[in-house]
Amino acid sequence: MNRFKAFSMLAVSVLFLLVSVGTLSAQDRIQIRWYVGLGGGTDAPLIEREEQVAADFNASQDEIELTIEVVDVDQAYDVLSTQLAAGNGPDVVGPMGIRGRASYPGAWLDLTSLIESTNYDLSDFDPALVDFYHVEGDGQLGIPFAVYPSFMMYNRALFDEAGVPYPPTAYGEPYVDWDGNEREWNMDTLRELAMILTVDANGNDATMDEFDPESIVQFGYGTQFTDLRGRDTLFGAANFVDDAGNAIIPDNWRAAEHWYHDAMWKDFFYPNGVYGNSELLGGQGGNWFGTGNIAMVTIHSWFIGWGTADLEAEWDFAPVPSYEGVATAKLHADTFGIMKTTANPEAAFTVLTYLLGERADDLTTLYGAMPARLSLQDGFFGRYTESLGETYPNVDWPSLNWDVVVAGLAHPDNPNHEEGMPAFLETSARYGEYITLVDNNADEDVDAALDTLQSDMQAIFDAAAQ
Amino acid sequence: MTATTLRSLSPYQIAKRRRNLLLSMGVTLAALILLMIYLMPLGYGVISSLKTKSQVDDPQGPLLPSETVKYEYEGQQYDVYYMPTETGIQEWALVRRGRSNSDFVDINNPEVGLIYWEGNWRQLDPVHELSFQWNNYPEAWDTIEFPQLLANTLVYAFVTMIGTLVASALVAYGFARFEFPFKNLLFIILISTIILPPAVTLVPTYAFFIHVLNWGGTWLPLIVPQMFGNAYNVFLLRQYFLTIPTEMEEAARIDGAGPFRTFISVILPQAVPALTAVALFHFFFAWNDFFGPLIYLAGNRKGNPITVGLTEFNGLYSSETQLILAAAIISMILPLTIFFLAQRVFIQGIVITGVDK
Amino acid sequence: MDFGSEIELARRSSSGGLRSILKMSPAKRREARWGLFFISPWLIGFLLFYLAPMVVSLIFSTYNFTLSAPDDAQFIGLSNWQRMLFDDPKTWESLFVTLKFALISLPISMITAFMLAVLLNSKHLLGRNLFRTLFYAPTMVPLIAAILIWSAVLNPQTGWLNRVIEFFGIPAVGMNGLRWMDDPNLIYIAYTFIGLYGIGNAILINLASLQNVPTELYEAAEIDGAGWVRRLWTITIPMVTPVIFYNLVLSIVGLLQFFIVPWVLNRGNGYPEGTTNYYMVYFYKQAFTFQNMGYGAALAWLMFIVALIITMFLFSTGRYWVYYSGKQRS
Repeated sequence: MNRFKAFSMLAVSVLFLLVSVGTLSAQDRIQIRWYVGLGGGTDAPLIEREEQVAADFNASQDEIELTIEVVDVDQAYDVLSTQLAAGNGPDVVGPMGIRGRASYPGAWLDLTSLIESTNYDLSDFDPALVDFYHVEGDGQLGIPFAVYPSFMMYNRALFDEAGVPYPPTAYGEPYVDWDGNEREWNMDTLRELAMILTVDANGNDATMDEFDPESIVQFGYGTQFTDLRGRDTLFGAANFVDDAGNAIIPDNWRAAEHWYHDAMWKDFFYPNGVYGNSELLGGQGGNWFGTGNIAMVTIHSWFIGWGTADLEAEWDFAPVPSYEGVATAKLHADTFGIMKTTANPEAAFTVLTYLLGERADDLTTLYGAMPARLSLQDGFFGRYTESLGETYPNVDWPSLNWDVVVAGLAHPDNPNHEEGMPAFLETSARYGEYITLVDNNADEDVDAALDTLQSDMQAIFDAAAQ
Repeated sequence: MTATTLRSLSPYQIAKRRRNLLLSMGVTLAALILLMIYLMPLGYGVISSLKTKSQVDDPQGPLLPSETVKYEYEGQQYDVYYMPTETGIQEWALVRRGRSNSDFVDINNPEVGLIYWEGNWRQLDPVHELSFQWNNYPEAWDTIEFPQLLANTLVYAFVTMIGTLVASALVAYGFARFEFPFKNLLFIILISTIILPPAVTLVPTYAFFIHVLNWGGTWLPLIVPQMFGNAYNVFLLRQYFLTIPTEMEEAARIDGAGPFRTFISVILPQAVPALTAVALFHFFFAWNDFFGPLIYLAGNRKGNPITVGLTEFNGLYSSETQLILAAAIISMILPLTIFFLAQRVFIQGIVITGVDK
Repeated sequence: MDFGSEIELARRSSSGGLRSILKMSPAKRREARWGLFFISPWLIGFLLFYLAPMVVSLIFSTYNFTLSAPDDAQFIGLSNWQRMLFDDPKTWESLFVTLKFALISLPISMITAFMLAVLLNSKHLLGRNLFRTLFYAPTMVPLIAAILIWSAVLNPQTGWLNRVIEFFGIPAVGMNGLRWMDDPNLIYIAYTFIGLYGIGNAILINLASLQNVPTELYEAAEIDGAGWVRRLWTITIPMVTPVIFYNLVLSIVGLLQFFIVPWVLNRGNGYPEGTTNYYMVYFYKQAFTFQNMGYGAALAWLMFIVALIITMFLFSTGRYWVYYSGKQRS
């Protein structure tokens, strides 16, 4: 009995001790937590520099203590959900795109009153870009930080080997093909060119009768690291929601899906689900272009640098091809948001303006983004290529065709391919299932699969409307 | 039966020895084949961890870590291929690649200069030589601050192992040998905590640790609950204790030992294999614990265990398969060494509980 | 002791518990105190870390609770339960998928673990310690490496598995070959195979229990001329039934909660043809991906109830086949 009592006493006192140790460390500075993970910024080399930014901020003043939480993108959404549900949300979140923001509807603070009360100067931004973060009913949820234009990247060595000319160097220019004919730089031209650049183990290309689709060693083209809306946007901007809030499959996107399905299973120049996740292209979710086994990809500027760190071949930028006369270079725009649940909106806003102001230059260079601040855009590429050269000396950065990267900004997708949808997370999960289905099965009926997708999305929208 | 008194070996014994030898060889061979099949995926991981990135990305390449032989010509490195010629197979370096014709250099006669060749170079076989990229290991070690991660993981695994072992053994003994009110109901509840999906209590548990105890960013939410035992371990140990005959406990009791001393001096020594198993399990569980540290240590990167540290490798900005695999294999070495050494305890277990009953 | 009667006892003692405590003899009371002393660590831990969260999650299930907006949660009574049980076909579909996979996977993994343990316990095996360690090694592969390894090994075009099979003359490689992750007929075999990489603990428990079988029993049987199979069947297996029982319960519970593998291999999208829409995947998608924690809590409680029923059933069968050589002191 004595032993029993002693044990209980011990257990209880240990518990209290632990509780008091946990609560003892009260600080007098305002605590602000910066959460990184909904977009880029979660890789080892970046984390160190982000931590440096936080340390610099803490050294620059003595009111606020900024701590940084970095969670890998695979888990970042779940961890943030858990924190929010338990009332332990961070204060500042970013960098993140529209997808990150749309995943937490209603969780973001309207910055309007803070902008007004601090007289925050927005004149350094393109007003259209400021408006990009204005959400009807929710207010101003962000201040522009950076944009990531998209473009095509092509592997020069693979073009040389095939003996075909490189893609055009500017929007509007034609493609001069292997016979010297000028062609419009569009999806049909891309298809023919990409087939020549697709090769099997015997060296036959996809235009030949002897071509063996079971032993492909090099692919012609792919849209890398994107989802269904992302890849279909190459065929023109649209959305799965019409004005009345119903689910639709836009006609140009239906055409796009046929194009992709044929590209994978008939013309074989585009990696299907099996090849796309094989070691040939970097494994599950691999970096296709970085393997050197694909001739062309379309991708965003956040890929620049790390994406080609291991690529020995020379490469360059090119314009994205057009569809029905229109080239659409989809745009990513990132910002930092403040969570509604923050206990110190003013302090969080101070941090936000520090990241978007004083440190905007460092951070945009770090993330491979074009700064949204007009004053920073001048000379940006000079600073950027210099910084790239230090980290990735394997590429002669200034020699690349940066003009075509900038020109892509003039062909943005409107509506954006990450635009909101009812029940955003559920809907995007559903269309992800569509991709898995058609990209892994040669005889899948694209039209039927799209019709099922439409009716399923309609059901999700209807349930969300209730 | 003891036949050791016999001076010479009887024909029966010779036959038996021969049979045992054959049996040993047969069993070991069978185990070896099974092991090879079973470890095939892991073998893929080990081999890939010794390749260069470009070799990992080349499924047509040789199975073992290799490198294509390079030849330097006018300051540039070129891949060497086997080229069938009139004078037999020669080694030529491929200088210019083309679909229907390419330029080569004969690496044994480079002074001849470029040789124009008609044909498709992809139908030639590249010259490979074995090349193990041992460097992947130090590189992986350096990139993710391994010593820090290792220390964190080790402390976490060890502290909780001791805690849960002590607590679980006590609780298991209570359930195995004593009658008390509501015992069966309590045992069902204990089992049901295994059945309860942890995700369902995640949010309230998280809120409790963060708000009530203010333990955010520390190891406490992961360590303290283990100090109260763990249903898996309790269940396992209880199953074990139930198989231990009660005679020795009776004897100890007659000698005047209280239940606690009986537990320490009679039960624990007999349960060494099970206790070792529980300790190892817990150690390994803690070693690979991922989601707990991930959510409770957010914002405390210095406190991360290996599993969470590895994710930094696998981020969007760097998918270096061979480095991730190398890091993963480094992280397995210590627990597997412990496992290997813990075998002794199992053997000891036979002596204590098996033979002398 | 068996669990059928334990449940019965639990029922009885919970009705007349207090009265029976008062009626206890001093010796019984002393024993009860010691029993409670021994289980007190768990009891305290349970009250602190389990009971409260369980109750809270039960409350969640009656709310329309979006993870990212906890302040907007609304009480909706039993709507979540009604939706789950009667309106949402995915509840039952995913439960069916889980049970089907469990039925395929359970016997394979249990028998493999037991037979490997027998092999690793064989006194004829040379280099036992090394073999044991190597057979245990896959259990220690960290999750992230496991994803890379499995998606590479099972790739129909380039994966080692198909290439090995092809090596033995069976056409397997390619788009028309064995597509482990795409073919609804192969997917459970692939997942079971992956699951075999987690049986290290089961092997270890089996091994520990095999060590505990008194060797004189074998010697006696050998003298009687019993062959290996008969010795296994009549001595080994009965002696280790408590541990087989433990493995069985844990395997079933583990399979009901099967989640990590489908989640990391295909992000829980159910492909192909919904065959990987496991119950816990569906729960996780609802609770975390779609942030419907209220509905997710209801789903989790349903799983809890199903698992509890299955486990209680198992315990009630235990009296017929689980052999305990030690007895409870009573």
